[in-house]
Amino acid sequence: MENNHEHDRHLAELERMNAALEEALKAAEAANEAKSSFLSNMSHDIRTPMNAIIGMTSIALSHIDEKSRVQDCLLKIRTASTHLMSLVNDVLDMSRIDSGRLALNEESFSLADLIHDIAVIVRPQAIQKQQDLQIEIGQIYEENLIGDPLRLRQILVNIIGNAVKYTQEEGKILVRFAQRLVGSGTSEEGKQQDMVLLDFWCEDNGIGMDEEFLQKIFIPFERVNSSTISKIEGTGLGMAIVKNLVDRMGGSIDVESKEGMGSNFHIEMPMTVEVQSRKGLELPAGSSVLLVESLPHRVEMISDYLEEAGLEPVHKDSGLDVVTWLTEAQYENRMPCAMLLGQELEDMPVLELAAHVRQSAGPGFPILLVSEEDWAQIEYRAVRSGVDAFVPCPLFKSRLLETLSALLNGRRTEEGSAGAMDVDYSDYRILLVEDIELNQEIAVEMLSVTGVQVEVADNGAQAVEMFEASEQGYYDLVLMDIQMPVMDGYEATRRIRALSREDAGSIWIVAMTANAFVEDIRLSREAGMNEHCAKPIDPERLQDILRNRFNV
Amino acid sequence: MQPYQEEYIANLKDIAVLTARKKPESRTFEEYCEHLLRNKEQAEQKMKRNMELLRGELFPALDHIYEAGEEELRDLQDFAGNLLCGKEELDVGLFCQVHKALLNLARHKKDRSSMIRELYWLGMGYNNLCNKLAGLEKEESEKYTLQMRLCFTEAAAYLKYYAEIDDIETKGYILRSRANMSLGQFKNPSEKIHMVNRTQQILQDKYFQEKAPELPWDRFIYMTHQQMAASISYSKNKVMTSRDLALVMESVYTVYQKRLQEAAERNEQAPIRARFAYDALEYYCGLNNLDGLLTKMEALMDAADAELFTEESMYGIISLPAFYCQFLNDYPEKIGGRKEYIEDLYQKVIAYVEAFPEAEENEALFLYLRQLSYTFVETDNSISYKEFLRKLQIRFAPDIYAHSRIVGEAAAVFCQMIIEEEPDFFDDIDDIRAITDREEKKREIITFAKECGMLYDIGKINFMNLYSRTVRQWFEEEYEMAQLHTLVGEAWLSGRASTRRYADVALGHHFWYDASHGYPKAYKRLECQCRQVVDIIGLLDWINNVTDTARLYKGVEKTFEEAVEAAIALEGRRFSPLLTAWLRDKEVTERLRLAFERGRHEAYFDLYTENGDRLVKIN
Repeated sequence: MENNHEHDRHLAELERMNAALEEALKAAEAANEAKSSFLSNMSHDIRTPMNAIIGMTSIALSHIDEKSRVQDCLLKIRTASTHLMSLVNDVLDMSRIDSGRLALNEESFSLADLIHDIAVIVRPQAIQKQQDLQIEIGQIYEENLIGDPLRLRQILVNIIGNAVKYTQEEGKILVRFAQRLVGSGTSEEGKQQDMVLLDFWCEDNGIGMDEEFLQKIFIPFERVNSSTISKIEGTGLGMAIVKNLVDRMGGSIDVESKEGMGSNFHIEMPMTVEVQSRKGLELPAGSSVLLVESLPHRVEMISDYLEEAGLEPVHKDSGLDVVTWLTEAQYENRMPCAMLLGQELEDMPVLELAAHVRQSAGPGFPILLVSEEDWAQIEYRAVRSGVDAFVPCPLFKSRLLETLSALLNGRRTEEGSAGAMDVDYSDYRILLVEDIELNQEIAVEMLSVTGVQVEVADNGAQAVEMFEASEQGYYDLVLMDIQMPVMDGYEATRRIRALSREDAGSIWIVAMTANAFVEDIRLSREAGMNEHCAKPIDPERLQDILRNRFNV
Repeated sequence: MQPYQEEYIANLKDIAVLTARKKPESRTFEEYCEHLLRNKEQAEQKMKRNMELLRGELFPALDHIYEAGEEELRDLQDFAGNLLCGKEELDVGLFCQVHKALLNLARHKKDRSSMIRELYWLGMGYNNLCNKLAGLEKEESEKYTLQMRLCFTEAAAYLKYYAEIDDIETKGYILRSRANMSLGQFKNPSEKIHMVNRTQQILQDKYFQEKAPELPWDRFIYMTHQQMAASISYSKNKVMTSRDLALVMESVYTVYQKRLQEAAERNEQAPIRARFAYDALEYYCGLNNLDGLLTKMEALMDAADAELFTEESMYGIISLPAFYCQFLNDYPEKIGGRKEYIEDLYQKVIAYVEAFPEAEENEALFLYLRQLSYTFVETDNSISYKEFLRKLQIRFAPDIYAHSRIVGEAAAVFCQMIIEEEPDFFDDIDDIRAITDREEKKREIITFAKECGMLYDIGKINFMNLYSRTVRQWFEEEYEMAQLHTLVGEAWLSGRASTRRYADVALGHHFWYDASHGYPKAYKRLECQCRQVVDIIGLLDWINNVTDTARLYKGVEKTFEEAVEAAIALEGRRFSPLLTAWLRDKEVTERLRLAFERGRHEAYFDLYTENGDRLVKIN
């Protein structure tokens, strides 16, 4: 009997072991299959951009004389290489996570900077697909946090990037950030630290996912299997990496999705607050700020921010109303302390309005632009239109008020009230070459509000002498009249350029003349001048030149 | 005015006469060419003199404007007044420059009256520029419309201080500025209607009237009714609020009654323009459907007397058909039953213009024809749009015609040389690639190149004051505006079957090969299948410009050989290396030089015979 029992026990044990082995084998086979499928995918995914690189290189070589053809090939090669690099990075990340070698950094960072960086990365792709990508900011208690901004950015870019990738042209993507207060936690060193919970939502109306895939979304090497996305590149590692990183940071990630309807991701992440002494803002309490914007939610948000800072917003939503209101305000000596230009107006592009207001209100009136556009893309046009400062969207209260404060105080310290510039040019020196005394006076007056040092030459010959006698790099800019007695501006420029000193070739020379023909501009360039400024001098144009030269 | 200002104005008038294309009368072709050349030389002398006057006198005066005395400033204002006086436009670019300088001065001195006056005149200058942008999408012309509207709005803002302003003149400027805020295109008719209505309320307000009884209030009010009535003649947005409709209806009725009364006094019928506004209003009110309106428009067009060369007839025969065709463009399903009518309509227009005495000097006629050009409806049997544009060019823009003809001739020769050597060179173009027979392909590409040449610069017709009627070199702003001719050309050509295939050439011929410079941004060279032809036209246009046409307004002049060398120097940047490589061959450049010469001869012969034909018909 005992033997039978023993036998049965062994048999059961054997069966259990067999079952376990079978399961392990299946798991190993599944893992192997996933890895094989991954390798097969990867080899395809890597080969595709590699083929593009090789193919485009040979096309470029065979059309080496056709610059634009070569340029086109190089652009395609760049796109393919960037994609290839991201594939390699994903694989390396996953391998680090698998082997437990991924370490998270603990450093302080600005949430505002992080979100702006993300917007700059993802917006161009959304624009390309004509998608409506909205990034909204809810209640934010603390902007300065401690964590790993690089990995946090990787998580967020990955999710928003997927939303862009898997949402059709002209689709909608809504990204929201908010915080919740959660009291305090304890650091590794045992110190008490304030904590917040960062909420991030990303909602799109793209292709969505079916139930089956939703179960596997965070498993490495899985991708949505659909003909719609067969052309979309990826390793299938992105979401697995995101999930691992979120877990490592102590957060959680949820996803809801319906095939054909879109997806909704939510991340909850505990973040440590950085203790920081707050910079005091110097804003003229009770002063009015002209708020020019037609988007109601933006108006409401900015008005709240301004009111909380003790300022009085005056709202206008059309350019023509602004011009009327400002003309009256100027005439009645009740100008607002600044104009805050928003994203949209009912009747005109905001920069067209800025250009007119700059003319009518003069160079001292602060104009601030709040925009979703990338500043690098619009800076040239905005500065030429008279915009003094820029606050990017999504809009953070701290950013808005700090910029406004800096702008207003910059002006106040320089001129007492409505001054000229938000910068100090007192380290720079200009050589003004002008024969007419009154014009000298006016130009010096216009320049003086910027603090720049001005030295005057009465004609071209004197200017050449002064430049030759000065030390290397003494002058930062030359404003050169053209028609002058003794020696004209063209000749003076040619002689300065011909001097054998280092700065003779590099000094920025601006022609100032009423001769505004295309030919005059060409002649001044041929003489070696860099820029042209029409007379009578428009103060704003002069400010533009200084801004462009000295704000480098 | 100061003597130099008077001389400048007199020169402008002389230049207008010298550059006008008159009938050849009894001259032989050689005498005709000799006559043109003589006039051209004289005009150039006067233009050079004008440049001297500007450089030597006006620009220094603007340079010293902060120290100018009252008299000198008054002279400047008078001078500007002569540059653009009502409908007579001599030099609107300079007009704007002078008023910008005066406005700067007024702002500097914080002189309210001067500021208001200068804002008004600068706004009027911009308005004139806006009128040249007809046919462009609102987005393209918006910059100029807004500059105008912002000037008028700022001047009109002083309405609040109307009571404390003493001089009547300034009060008048404020009211006129207020009314002019509604000039130009708006996003929708409601915006415009509201703005005009607000002006009407101000003008009818006793408060304002009593403070300046000397002002012509009735005329002001009537003009706002005209503005309101004009806003209904053609509106894309049929849906208006009942309040909008009521406002427009009242104005249309006012204008109609006044015109009816004036006509009755002359024993005539009410003018066509007023009757059309009335009919259009019935349509927008829902009292009539589109078919009903089109039928009424046909009756009005038929009633226009083709034997009379009056404003009324011009409107009925050319401008009203433009509105008619605009409706048809928007509702193409209405074209079917009206094909014959449309075909007759264009025949009537052409016959009328052919018979019109001194047509080329009539600005209103030219404006109406341009209106008709951008609403043109092409049917199977109507005159083709291509032919219509050719006639328009040859008659009203002979210099542009000649330039295009020359470039077309040279392009045909260049393409022939290329295709003989490289039969696949133009195979990016689907139609060309589809042709398998070599000879046929060659013939097709030569014809295509020639016709591209004929039409690529058609957009310049909107900017005649900058091109063939130029009186001096361009200012930077004018150079910027002139660039819009590429967009205008593309917009015109892309809309009709007979010209669609030339649209890319109109768009891209000023774009640089390496995309580093040139315009417009809308042209994407690598995406354009006829980019090789665009490159050819761009190169030959440039050569003809720097050797002939553009030397005046851009201040560049080269011999043919210098131009070829300069083009080679721009290889790979401005010009395609595939083309400049050909220019290194002396035989090729010689053939091109001869093509330019032959093209020039043929272009002027066309002008001679076209004018001659017309002369015979008139007689």
